[in-house]
Amino acid sequence: MTELDPVIHAQARLRVVASLSTLNVGDKIAFPRLQELLAMTAGNLSVHLRKLEDAGYVEISKTHRGRTPATLVGLSRRGRLAFEEYTEAIRALLDPSPSKEQP
Amino acid sequence: MDLDDDSPPTDAAAALRLIQDQQSETARRLDPDARLLYWPWGVAWLVGFGLFFLQFTPGDRALVHLPGWLPLTVLFVLLAAAGATQAVVSVRAYGQVVGDSAQRGKWYGYAWALGSVSAYAGLGRVSEHLPHDQAALLWSATAVGLTGALHMAGGAVWLDRDLFRLGVWISVINLVGAFAGAGWHPLIVAVAGGGGMLVAGVLARRRQRQRQQP
Repeated sequence: MTELDPVIHAQARLRVVASLSTLNVGDKIAFPRLQELLAMTAGNLSVHLRKLEDAGYVEISKTHRGRTPATLVGLSRRGRLAFEEYTEAIRALLDPSPSKEQP
Repeated sequence: MDLDDDSPPTDAAAALRLIQDQQSETARRLDPDARLLYWPWGVAWLVGFGLFFLQFTPGDRALVHLPGWLPLTVLFVLLAAAGATQAVVSVRAYGQVVGDSAQRGKWYGYAWALGSVSAYAGLGRVSEHLPHDQAALLWSATAVGLTGALHMAGGAVWLDRDLFRLGVWISVINLVGAFAGAGWHPLIVAVAGGGGMLVAGVLARRRQRQRQQP
């Protein structure tokens, strides 16, 4: 059995990463909007984002939109890859047939 | 959920379900309903150009007697309303997403604005020397032609098949209308163009629904 990435293999972080994976490559989302999409508290989301950032899976940038500071969150290339590998590993667990190709 | 959300999903099936639910939920909330983007323009063309046809019917016998200012005013009001709807819907959906997609959207918007101004500036200077019906054809064929080309370009930018096909359709019916001549052009644009946008909205919505299925 493949080892599942422990950073992603936690419900909250899996939801965060799955949400971010729907953004197009090169896009980031404002922290409050992400919080709203996930229905998490700001503190809780921050904790999980920090863990993902420490692993190099998300990129967080602070910027200004007009005069208000904004925090933008996006999946890094490494994070996208890790998520794809995780999803593939999960699918392989569910369907342990030798063919790797999914229709 | 907040209490044990650091714990792993109970099993692989739960993990996959969690991924799919979260992805479809996010896509649903970040993608505006395609109908809200297509239908207001379709209605504007159908009603606006439709009134234009009714008033300036070929052969100089108006089917319906309307005040002279009405068709153009209705067309512009409906187009402005469609533009406003699109702006509100887009900002609500993508307003908090920045990066490459926002850049594409911004430049695409500039292409519409600057392209329209530059095309219409020349028309404005020429059309006053033309008979009324020819001037009307020149204006509407240029506007519809620009719209068709920009829809095709939008399809290329976002690799959006529905948008590209709509651009092709608009360009073709504009060509047909231009050959049919002044008087007939608004009818073709109203029915085939406006109708085409309504159909495109249905198709885009159906594609969107399929994408958002978990």
